[in-house]
Amino acid sequence: MPLNPNIHKVMVIGSGPIVIGQAAEFDYAGTQACRSLREEGISVVRVNSNPATIMTDVETADAVYIEPLTLPFLEQVIARERPDGLLPSLGGQTGLNLAYKLAEAGILDKYNVRLLGTPLESIKKAEDRDLFKELMRQIGQPVPESAICNSLEEAQAFRDQIGYPLIIRPAYTLGGTGGGIAYNDAQLEQFTRSGLDRSLIHQILLERYLNGWKEVEYEVMRDANDTAITICNMENFDPMGVHTGDSIVVAPSQTLSDREYQMLRSASLDIIRSLGIEGGCNVQLALDPHSAQYYVIEVNPRVSRSSALASKATGYPIARVAAKIAIGFHLDEIPNAVTQKTLACFEPALDYCVVKIPRWPFDKFSTSDRRITTQMKATGEVMSIDRSFESALMKALRSLEIGVYGLRGKGTSLLSEMEIEEGLRTLTDERIFVITEALRRGMLVEEIHQISHIDRWFLWKLSRLIDMENKLRDSRGGKADELSPDLLRAAKKLGFNDHNLGELLGLKEEAVRARRKALGIVPAYKMVDTCAAEFEAETPYYYSCYETESE
Amino acid sequence: MQSPASSFSPGSSRQKVIIIGSGPIRIGQGIEFDYASVHCTRAVREMGYEAIVINNNPETVSTDFDESDRLYFEPLAFEDVMNVIERENPLGVVVQFGGQTAINLARPLTQAGVRILGTQFDSIDLAEDRERFDGLLIELNIPKPPGKAVTTVDAAIEVANGIGYPVLVRPSYVLGGRAMEIVYSEHDLRGYMQTAVDVSPAKPILVDRYIVGKEAEVDVICDGADCLLPGIMEHIERAGVHSGDSMAVYPPQTLSENVIRQITDYAIKMARALKVSGLMNIQYVVEGEQVYIIEVNPRASRTVPYLSKITGIPMVKVATQMMLGRTLKELGYTSGLHPAPDQVAVKAPVFSFQKLTGVDTDLSPEMKSTGEVMGVDNQFPRALYKAMVASGFDIPLPGQKNEQGELVGHGALLTTLANHNKEEGAPIVKGFAELGYKVYATEGTAQMLERHGVACEVVRKIREPEPNLMNLLAAPDVDFLINTPERERTPERDGLRMRRAAVEHGVPCLTSLDTAQALLTALRYQSQQRVVGVRPVHEYGLPDKEKLSML
Repeated sequence: MPLNPNIHKVMVIGSGPIVIGQAAEFDYAGTQACRSLREEGISVVRVNSNPATIMTDVETADAVYIEPLTLPFLEQVIARERPDGLLPSLGGQTGLNLAYKLAEAGILDKYNVRLLGTPLESIKKAEDRDLFKELMRQIGQPVPESAICNSLEEAQAFRDQIGYPLIIRPAYTLGGTGGGIAYNDAQLEQFTRSGLDRSLIHQILLERYLNGWKEVEYEVMRDANDTAITICNMENFDPMGVHTGDSIVVAPSQTLSDREYQMLRSASLDIIRSLGIEGGCNVQLALDPHSAQYYVIEVNPRVSRSSALASKATGYPIARVAAKIAIGFHLDEIPNAVTQKTLACFEPALDYCVVKIPRWPFDKFSTSDRRITTQMKATGEVMSIDRSFESALMKALRSLEIGVYGLRGKGTSLLSEMEIEEGLRTLTDERIFVITEALRRGMLVEEIHQISHIDRWFLWKLSRLIDMENKLRDSRGGKADELSPDLLRAAKKLGFNDHNLGELLGLKEEAVRARRKALGIVPAYKMVDTCAAEFEAETPYYYSCYETESE
Repeated sequence: MQSPASSFSPGSSRQKVIIIGSGPIRIGQGIEFDYASVHCTRAVREMGYEAIVINNNPETVSTDFDESDRLYFEPLAFEDVMNVIERENPLGVVVQFGGQTAINLARPLTQAGVRILGTQFDSIDLAEDRERFDGLLIELNIPKPPGKAVTTVDAAIEVANGIGYPVLVRPSYVLGGRAMEIVYSEHDLRGYMQTAVDVSPAKPILVDRYIVGKEAEVDVICDGADCLLPGIMEHIERAGVHSGDSMAVYPPQTLSENVIRQITDYAIKMARALKVSGLMNIQYVVEGEQVYIIEVNPRASRTVPYLSKITGIPMVKVATQMMLGRTLKELGYTSGLHPAPDQVAVKAPVFSFQKLTGVDTDLSPEMKSTGEVMGVDNQFPRALYKAMVASGFDIPLPGQKNEQGELVGHGALLTTLANHNKEEGAPIVKGFAELGYKVYATEGTAQMLERHGVACEVVRKIREPEPNLMNLLAAPDVDFLINTPERERTPERDGLRMRRAAVEHGVPCLTSLDTAQALLTALRYQSQQRVVGVRPVHEYGLPDKEKLSML
C-alpha cells in the first residue's frame, strides 16, 4: 500500500533530556524519521525539551517546539498545530509513555489525531507483563516462570513447582535492595523475608533464574502487510542478568549454531507478527548453553538503543524505514538507502564483526557502586567494526577514552588472586580487564568460564590476545628496526595499536609506527554496505582492518 | 597518501575536510558536541568541500552515513585518526567541535604535520597551560582570581594562606570539573592534596581564591580579527557549581551594563590574543562590579546549541566558515555583542541519580548531570517555570487539582539548612510558606524560620526515633526537599542519606539556595497566572506579539 492520503501533518515527540537509559539514539532516530517523512511531502511537528539535538533544529522539521514534555504543554502544541497523526515510537520510553497518556486522557480524540505505526493495543501487549505472558502462551513461546508472592509460603509453593535457582526481587523498592538469588531453602527463606521487608507493598517477584544462559537480541521489522524481516541479531558477551545497555555486545552473534540462530529468528518473527507491530521491534531472548531450550525475556515495541546499534552495525536505517511503514508503506515498496538498488525487505548480511562496549561514569563517581546489574548505569557507548572479534574488541576498548590502550586495566596488575576471582564472579565495569589479567597469570579458560559463565568462545579469543601480548613482551628490548614483520603484522591484525605495542615492546609509539610503515603494514578500509558486497553501495561508510584489499 | 595495496581511490576533485567527532557520551561531554559536529559537517559540504567524519559512537546523528560524504567508524586515538588522514590527504582537520576528545588531538596532529583548521594548537595550549595562560592575562590586563599552580602539599598550603580561605582547588588539564572542590580549611586542603588527586610535577594542582560571585559565560565566534558574541549566559547558581550543573539564563537578568561591557571587552581581547579562528568559550565570575576570567575553552562549548536556537545565529556554521577563510564582515555580521531578542531562555540540568546508587546529589564544582533542557518564553519567570517543569521540578501548587478534581501534590516541603546559610535561606522558605506550602523543618532550621515568622512543624532528624524526616520522604508527604550541605570535604553521612532517600522516593531535592529561589520565582508567577503558552522555535526571533499588543 502506498502513502496514506489522509496524513499531511505528523507530530513526533522526542525523548527529552539525556539521562542514563535514554541518550543520543533518539536524536538519531528522530532526525532520520523526520527526513523520511518529509521526503514523502508530510509536514512534521517536533516537540522536545532538549535543545541540544539535531531534531529540534528548524531545518529538521516544519515546526519545532522546545517545550516541557508534559500533557498540558503537549496539548497546547496539538491545539495549535492540529496534526493528523502522532508517531509515538521514536522518542524512547518517554515518547511512548506520553503518547499513551495523551490517548488515555482523550486528548488525541479531542483533536482528531490518530496514532501512527504500531497500534496502542500492541504496545500494551508488549509492555504489560501479564498480557505479554498470556500472548506468549497462546503462540507457544516460552517465558521464564514467575510468580508474585506475598508470603514465604507462597514462595515455597512456587519453588515446589519449578525448583532452584530462583531470583527474588522486591516490588517497589528503588535501588533494588533486599532481593537475591536463591539456590537452596535457607537462601530462599532469607531473601524472601528481606525482600518482603524492603518492599513498600510487602510483595516480591519470584522468577526462574537463568544462570549462565546466553542473552541474544533480534532486531526485527514488520509492515501492515505482515511482511516481517530480521535486521540483525546481537549477542551479549556477558551472560543473562545484565541490562543490555550495560553489556558488551557483539553483532552478529558469534557462538550460536545455525540451528539455534534459526530457532531464535523464527521465534522473534512469530512474536512481532503476533503482537501486530508496524515498524521496528527488539526481542530479547535467553538461550541455554547446554540444550536448545530458550525463553523470551522482553520485547521493546519501538525504536531503541539496540536498534540504533543495529542500524550502525548493518547500515540498515531502521528509524527511516519504521517511519515509512507508519505512514502506510510496505517493506517491498521502500528502497534501501545504502545500495539504492535493493529494497528494504532484503535482510542485511554482515561480513565483519561489530563490538559495542558501554561507557560508564565511574571515573567521575568514585563513591558509586560499580557493580553492573539489571539497572543500567552507562551514560554512553562505543562501537567498532573489524574483521574479527579480537580486533574489533581492541578498537572498542581504546575508543572508550579511559586511559587504556590495550588489555591492561588501571590497577588490575595489583589485584590479589582472591580479588581476581571475586572480579570474575561479580560483574563491574572492569571485568574485561580482570579476565585478561587472570589469563595473563595463567588461569585457564575453563576456570574463568566456570566462575563467570562467559562463553568459552569469547574467552578463547581473549586468550589469543593475551598469547600475542606475551609473544610481544618476549621480544622486548629489541630495536625497532629489527622488529619481526610477521609478528608486527599478526599483532596489528589482532587489533594491537602502536601505543600499546610500544608499551609491550619497550619502544616509543613513533618508533613502532615508523617500522610498521617502513614494512608497508598499513590498514585497508572496507565498506559497510548491508549486503556483504553483493550489490554496490552508494553511501560510503568504512572501517579499517589489517588486510590487503581496500574497497 | 593511500595504502599501497589499495585499489580504492577516495579522490575526487573537491578538497576534503576531516571532522573529528566526540566519541562516547559521558558526563561532561554530552550530545551537544555531536550536535556541533553534525552542523560543522553540513557547513563544510555546503561550502563545496567533501566532509569526512571520524567517530565511534553508534547512538548519534554524526555517525548516520547520510550526514557526511564519507564516514569512518574508528577509535579517536591518534593512530586511527592519522591512518584516515594519510589515506584521505585532506585540506585540514577540524578539532573544535568534538569536545575535549577532538581538541586533545590538536597536539599530536600538529606535531605530525597535519593542518588544523581554525584556532591553532599553540593558542589551544596557551589557553590550557596554566602558566602560559596566567602570563597572557597579565599581559592583556584581564583580572583573574588570585591563585597559583602547585605541585606539593606544602606549596598548596602556602598559597592558600597567602590568598585566604575558601580556595577552589582542581587539577589542571581536566574535563568536566573532575576532582574540583571548594576547600574551607587547611585540614581539608591537606586531605584533598593527599587523597583526592595525584600530585606530581607533571600534574600541577591549581589553588585559587574562591570568589562567591555570579558566574557568566560567553561563546565567541572570531575570524582572527572581528569577534561576534551571540550572547552572554548568566548562571542562576553562584560560583562553586559546575557550569554544566547550574541553571543559566539568556539574556542576563541581573548583570549591569558595566559588567556586560567588561565581559564583552575581555572576550574580544582574549579572542584576538589567541588568534581564534572559529569558536571559543569563556567562563567568568563576577564579584560586585568586577569581572574575572576563570577559564577559557578554545573550542565549541556546551551552550552552543542553546544560543544558536535562541539567537537564530547558526553558530557552528558561521564558525566553520571562519575556519575555512571567510570573514564575519563577508557574512554580514557586525563585531561585538549581538542584540538580545525578545525571548528569554533558561537552561536547566537533568541528573540520573536514581540509577547511580551511592552518589551524592549535592551541586558542587564537579559535574554530575547527564543532560539538559531549555525553557523559552517572553518573560523570565515563565521561561524559568518551563525549564523547571521540563527538568523534573514539576511541583504542584498547594491545593492544585487535576481534571478529576483530585489534589495533585501534598502542599508541603521539607527543609534542613546548613548552619552557614540558615539566615540566608529563611526568606526563601518564607516565600514558599506564603504560597501556602506547609513547612517541615529540623530543629535548628525551624528555630531560624520561626524567628523570621515562618510557622513550621519540627521533624526529627535521621538518627532520632521514628517518625522522623525519613518517613516524610518515604511516604512521601512532601513535594520537595531543600537541603544545603555543610561545608566539609566529606559530606555528613546523615545529609547524604537524606538526599539519597529523596532521590529513591522521587522527591525533588534542591541543594542550592539559588535554585530554591529560582523555583520560588517560577511558582510565584505560576500562582498568579496559570496559562503558559507554547511557541515554535522559528518564532523566537520575531517581535513578541504580547509586547506589541501592549504598545
